[in-house]
Amino acid sequence: MESLYFLIPIALLFCIVAIKLLLWAIDNGQYDDLDKEAWRVLVDEEAPAPPPEKETEEPPR
Amino acid sequence: MADAQATTDPTPCFHCGEPLNGEDRFAVEINGVSKPMCCPGCQAVASLIAGSGMAGFYDQRSAYNERPEQLIAAPAESFAPYDDPQLAQLFLRREADQQWHASLLIGGMTCAACTWLIEHTVQRLPGVASANVNLQQGRLDVRFDRDQLPCSALFTAVAALGYRVQPFEANARREQLALDYRQDLRRLAVAGIGMMQVGMFGVALHAGDIQGIASEYQGLLRWVSLIVASFVVIFSARPFFQSAWQHLKQGALVMDLPVALAIGLAWVASGWATLSGTGQVYFDSIVMFTFLLLLARFIELRSRRRDNGNWLDAQSQLPVTVTLQKENQWVQVPRLQIQADDRLLVTAGSVFPADGKILVGASAAREDAFSGEHLPRDIAPGDSVFAGTVNIESAVEISSYGTYADTRLAALQRSTESGRQGKPRLAGLADRLASRFVAIVLLVTAATAVFWSQVDPERALWISLSVLVVSCPCALALATPAALANAAAALRNAGILVHGDNALEALARTNHLIFDKTGTLTHGDLTVAKVIAISGQDAAEALALAGSLQQYSNHPIAEAFSDVDGKRQVESADYRIGAGISGVINGVTYRTGSVEFCRELCPALPQPPTISDYWIALVSEVAPIAWISLNDPVRESAAAVIQWGNAQGLTIELLTGDSSGQGPLLAEQLGISEVRAGQTPEDKLAHVSQLQTAGAVVTMVGDGLNDAPVLGRADTSIAMANAADLTRAQADLVMVDADLQIIPIAFRKARQCRRVILQNFAWALSYNACAIPLAASGYIAPWAAAVGMSLSSLLVVGNSLRLNRPVR
Repeated sequence: MESLYFLIPIALLFCIVAIKLLLWAIDNGQYDDLDKEAWRVLVDEEAPAPPPEKETEEPPR
Repeated sequence: MADAQATTDPTPCFHCGEPLNGEDRFAVEINGVSKPMCCPGCQAVASLIAGSGMAGFYDQRSAYNERPEQLIAAPAESFAPYDDPQLAQLFLRREADQQWHASLLIGGMTCAACTWLIEHTVQRLPGVASANVNLQQGRLDVRFDRDQLPCSALFTAVAALGYRVQPFEANARREQLALDYRQDLRRLAVAGIGMMQVGMFGVALHAGDIQGIASEYQGLLRWVSLIVASFVVIFSARPFFQSAWQHLKQGALVMDLPVALAIGLAWVASGWATLSGTGQVYFDSIVMFTFLLLLARFIELRSRRRDNGNWLDAQSQLPVTVTLQKENQWVQVPRLQIQADDRLLVTAGSVFPADGKILVGASAAREDAFSGEHLPRDIAPGDSVFAGTVNIESAVEISSYGTYADTRLAALQRSTESGRQGKPRLAGLADRLASRFVAIVLLVTAATAVFWSQVDPERALWISLSVLVVSCPCALALATPAALANAAAALRNAGILVHGDNALEALARTNHLIFDKTGTLTHGDLTVAKVIAISGQDAAEALALAGSLQQYSNHPIAEAFSDVDGKRQVESADYRIGAGISGVINGVTYRTGSVEFCRELCPALPQPPTISDYWIALVSEVAPIAWISLNDPVRESAAAVIQWGNAQGLTIELLTGDSSGQGPLLAEQLGISEVRAGQTPEDKLAHVSQLQTAGAVVTMVGDGLNDAPVLGRADTSIAMANAADLTRAQADLVMVDADLQIIPIAFRKARQCRRVILQNFAWALSYNACAIPLAASGYIAPWAAAVGMSLSSLLVVGNSLRLNRPVR
């Protein structure tokens, strides 16, 4: 049972990392729009066909 | 998805979902199938979407689009002023060389698919690096190269898709809301992860309690639980302590007080148990309670903040730029630069940008914003005009009285804000219960402590503490937010959005239901009601003649004739402002318009048939032809809703700015007992405050700008679908469609919600009533407290979920 002294701190470390990551994601604005993202993950991302008169798409950055 | 929501009308407009009224003049081919459209606006937008390969949008959307009115009102040139560097500062930021960031506020997004459409359309524009739409805030962020793409092109591209677009100006309140939202989410995240971690330790500790555990490991598990739980209490549970303390300072006992007491005392007791190595710890209950309560409140708040237009104010409908005379030259300047005595040019069809006096020109001003009346007021040199009203007939030059702050519109906005502040705070059911709850729990705890100190002094402290923990008002505190969030979700699906803080509780307790007239009980547009032919003339023929002449007017009356069939060729048509139209049809001169104007041509014209209706005459040079009466038709659903209200025992009132005889007439027709006509926005506000002082709980239904103050003041308020921006922002509930039938539905749901809240309370209290005696007699172990708390909370949430069922 001595392993507890080793495993529990590791669990706490994971906990801290998870909180850090989540807080980073929130501050990064990734949860600002729950409605849109909830809808977007379900859509088969199918980029709309470019209009005929345009030759090149702008490269996304 | 879009087809599934086709309502009662067999084939609505494919784009906006409004009924076609049997007309099929417009259509657009989408994915090879011709789809009907209701108007040129929808047709233009739909063909643009289909033409640019975005037709997939229609398969993905879950709600109809808004009818694109701005497209006709705002041509591409109107966005040109946004290229002006000074104006662009409002919404543009330089991020790097060649890289600019613009934020636009977008109105009319009805579902998430709209974000897809806008993002992809904007991303295709030359020079755009990225485009991101935030649906919750109605905001578009674009990074682009200004040399390749002028700002106005961004506005034009979005407007062409049928959305309303304006600069997203930084605004302290809005920034604060966004910050609060993230802070809530942070607290929730920390509480969630903390709950899982402490819960794991908790299971080990509970198992140890039952099976036996070495005190060494028990101490270790308690210590790590203490560390994590302390972090959760200090970081996540802070709002409960803050709110309880703030209200306590003002002498108010709110639900947050028992919550803060339970969390605080349980934490202190468990901490002491850990330090001293005695007694019992309740860390798992503490963090679970914190998480569940934060979650319920977050969901409830989010359901109300969704599509909330609370950043809109009265200024948002004024033009961005104005034509101003500088050194004998007309120049375009941003509206904010207007000073007193500036000379401004206001074209026909545009909104007056400032209060002022007419210098040159005569026209008519539609002032429904202030009076609720749809017939315009004639204006001539020397008359005053007001910002926010519409110049209808011809261009005029005005001399401004001052800046925006001096206008009547700004005064209306201020009175709206003061109305809002005066809004009575109906103490929520939960808060009223909270004070008694706290008193009872403290009394029982004290009694327990006294009793056990006589019987068994060693156990007295721990048993009294277990009473406090077991009485933890988790289910009690969850009861309200869980029910409100579910009721709001159901109402949203039924077609009414809930924004207000206490809207549903106030709605359930309403005993006064007050309606505005124009645009609320009526459609707000003039239509031809009756045609009375004079001396052997043909009525249908008369209507066709009048309709032919009315084509040459842009007065609102002319719109009533836009659907008339059989229009003739008119020669030398002449429109006289404030009087009527004359013209020659088949060699005969005709006039239509006011009595005086028509008598000039045909003195034989008799008096109008009645006084109360609004009549216009039609005469030829030979003889009088007909009287045509115009009215604003009552909404089909109005009578049924009034009848329902009367049957429910609500006092129904009509409060209208219209001073003509129409108000009382309409009230009589619909069965409304109390009418007040000719009310200014201030009168309406005063009347409602007076009712509230007398103890009434008032629900106000309105649409106009003039209703905004009273909507802010009423205990709860409902804005019509087509209401002015400021009015929508003030209202607690906003309708999605113009159907008044939603009002009884909202009332039923609100009452159902109140019943569910009461059931939740009954359950939570009876749970406490059973658990507290057990705890007081020393029978409840920490694991039993944790299980009991979760089960009673689950039951409350489950009961609240029943509200989510669709409303009938």
